[in-house]
Amino acid sequence: MPQIITEQNLRNLIDLLVKESKVVVGPKQADSVVLYQPLAAGSELTLDSLPRRSAKELFFPICENILSYQRLDGKMQVTDVDRSRFPETVLIGAPPCDAASPAILDAVFSWDYNDEFYLERRRKSTIVGIACTQGDDACFCTAVGLAPDTDTGSDLFLTPLKDGSYACKAVTEKGKALVDAHARLFGEAASADAAPFAEQGTEKLDLVKIKKWLEGHFEDPLWEKISDICVGCGSCAFICPACHCFDINDEGSTEQGSRRKHWDACGFSKFTNHASGHNPRDVQNKRYRNRIMHKFKYYDDKFGRTLCTGCGRCVRACPVGIDIAEILSTINAKQD
Amino acid sequence: MNAKANKNQSSCIEPSYYQAVTQAIRTQAVQVLKDGTVAGVVGYLPGRRKGTARPALITTPEEAEKLIFSPACVNNLSVYLTKSKKGVLKQGRIGIVAKGCDMRALAGLMGESQIKREDLFIIAVDCAGVYGSRAERSESVTEANIARKCHECTVHHPEGADFVAGAATELSGLTPLEAEEMARIEALPQAERWAFWKEHFSRCIRCMACRQVCPFCYCEQCLCDKNRPQAVENSPRPAGNTAWHIVRAMHLAGRCGGCAECERVCPMDIPLNLLNRRMAKELKELYDYEAGLAPAEKGPLNQYKEDDDQSFIK
Amino acid sequence: MHAEAKQHDFEPKIVAFVCTWCTYAGADLAGTSRMQYPANVRVLKFPCTGRIDPVFILRAFQKGADGVLVSGCHPGDCHYMAGNFHARRRFAAFRALLDFVGVDLHRLQFSWVSAAEGGKWVEVVTELTERVRAMGPMLEFKSLEHEEQWSAFQAMADVPGVVNTPELKEAYDKI
Repeated sequence: MPQIITEQNLRNLIDLLVKESKVVVGPKQADSVVLYQPLAAGSELTLDSLPRRSAKELFFPICENILSYQRLDGKMQVTDVDRSRFPETVLIGAPPCDAASPAILDAVFSWDYNDEFYLERRRKSTIVGIACTQGDDACFCTAVGLAPDTDTGSDLFLTPLKDGSYACKAVTEKGKALVDAHARLFGEAASADAAPFAEQGTEKLDLVKIKKWLEGHFEDPLWEKISDICVGCGSCAFICPACHCFDINDEGSTEQGSRRKHWDACGFSKFTNHASGHNPRDVQNKRYRNRIMHKFKYYDDKFGRTLCTGCGRCVRACPVGIDIAEILSTINAKQD
Repeated sequence: MNAKANKNQSSCIEPSYYQAVTQAIRTQAVQVLKDGTVAGVVGYLPGRRKGTARPALITTPEEAEKLIFSPACVNNLSVYLTKSKKGVLKQGRIGIVAKGCDMRALAGLMGESQIKREDLFIIAVDCAGVYGSRAERSESVTEANIARKCHECTVHHPEGADFVAGAATELSGLTPLEAEEMARIEALPQAERWAFWKEHFSRCIRCMACRQVCPFCYCEQCLCDKNRPQAVENSPRPAGNTAWHIVRAMHLAGRCGGCAECERVCPMDIPLNLLNRRMAKELKELYDYEAGLAPAEKGPLNQYKEDDDQSFIK
Repeated sequence: MHAEAKQHDFEPKIVAFVCTWCTYAGADLAGTSRMQYPANVRVLKFPCTGRIDPVFILRAFQKGADGVLVSGCHPGDCHYMAGNFHARRRFAAFRALLDFVGVDLHRLQFSWVSAAEGGKWVEVVTELTERVRAMGPMLEFKSLEHEEQWSAFQAMADVPGVVNTPELKEAYDKI
């Protein structure tokens, strides 16, 4: 018999986890936007809309200190961040397009160099994903190989049922441990009638074909055509669950300060600007081309995955209406 | 001022109005492209999703046949004219579709010698208003989905264009939401005003969309990108965010034409136009200056009078 | 010598941005005339008030100033003809902006002090210092400096919004 949890018990679970001194992060109303934020109580969980920013910030914060320095008695003292103090975290209520993102990003943060900031946060987190019942016309997860009920990346996966409760599936040991530790909140149901999943506005894409086209068309009139209107902001990259570029800045004075790692975006003109003044991606369409190439070719070359979960955030947020799903279907339809 | 006389006020703009405006824009754009008046037209094309539109740089009459105007045509296209962005003007004279608020930006840019009037062919739109960000995209604008800036629009009927598409229509009885919000914040105790902005600025992720869509942020080197010396922290933390938004508002004071693009594009819903409005109001009160009404050689902050108010100076 | 100097609990940091031709010379005159004024003020010399960017004021507050003074030549006396006239407009606007975002303008003083007005310099600095002393430290910008995005938390205790009091624990125990 399938295991279920009622909505009330899901909220109670959050309360219990908070009590256990875990940081519980979930979609929460913050002014007019819904964002992933620490929840003080289960009642704060908001499951009726996709958070404006993706869940990647849980592992890859917008900005974090990686060391601090201070001059003491004429000598510079450098203090590392004590990563063992990173708290145990439970992410609750991430739809498949967000829950899948750490599964994609693990590869890049543990490749030639182990980014212990990312990895430590990742080790200490449990992800409770939830099947998506409310897509809109910007969503395209099915086009990039996910689906509203994909449990990739989730440790525990919830599927909303018609009666308002959730069917639970422990995907990993972490997920099973979470259920076992709070077994009294979970029940069993005779049948599990799933609520209808979200509908998608786009057709399924042939990612292999798209990658093949990208391989042969580094120079192509398409790039200028699709991105001549790009104004070069970073909103698409910043709200993306998969974009992971960062910059490192030393901020402070000659006496004390911090070294900070924070989000960066390939759309910015300064992104590739060399100290000499030379900029290999000197115009916006080269920068936009990199965005597409990185997501659908370079990342796949290196790690065998597409760097996109089809959440549609960039489609909704682009100030000038650049629509990545439309671009992909344009490429998908190309014959040569 | 004929437009004002036969003003048609209603609670909903009929889709047929947009169809008529669209037709007028197409006809005009095709004509100026065909007869060689312009090398290109900056206008709007429909987006993939229903009820959306996006900017487009058009160079052929065939493409111009696809131009549209709808309440989804929210962008201020003048951003494409300033050199650090696209530099479309290099191709020769350019046609541009402009709403009243966009026209103010054009006037401002002319005043600041960024563009020349003779390089432009302005296809103005008699605009009833556009969708607010994330509002419902139905067939037309209503009080429910109109952008906040449009509630208090004073430039529905643009003047000084080469061609005007559409004639005089606007919604009636709209509440001045933004003015009310500004008054509310001004009336708050100082500590609560700080708390209000702190909450908003803390959410900022420094995606720079506000800067990149602003027609007036055309500096080749933004002060806020510099780190030697660093004036504003690059890192997206509350401290640097607050400094950035204050600097941004200050740099736009006396220049901003009120298109509110910064606020529209903010993925974190920070009410940035309130800052711009507040500065515009102050400069109007102090120096009786309103930005963007006509190209002005000097803005309020690069001219002075010997008897300017100095009651705040000891 | 300074037996009468009062001990205070709080010594505010005052940053003064001054023009080199008038106010700096005025402050110098105060010094050479052996006038006494609070040592809380740190003077930064600029060619002209027209060179003083509003971002300097912001930076001063961010880096720990409790009060800021901007001072230059009287109208008509500018060494560069109109620098102070331009500054006057710019700061009128900037004050309105700071006020709107919730900065207490009592911490920000503008003045015209000529090279001959050593006495006025003393008066302006003293008044601002005492006013800011009475107001206490400027905490707004300083506390912002230490704030992080929630996701940068390094420990449970750092996470904003997460309350974990014994009372709360007790309440949750009842679930």
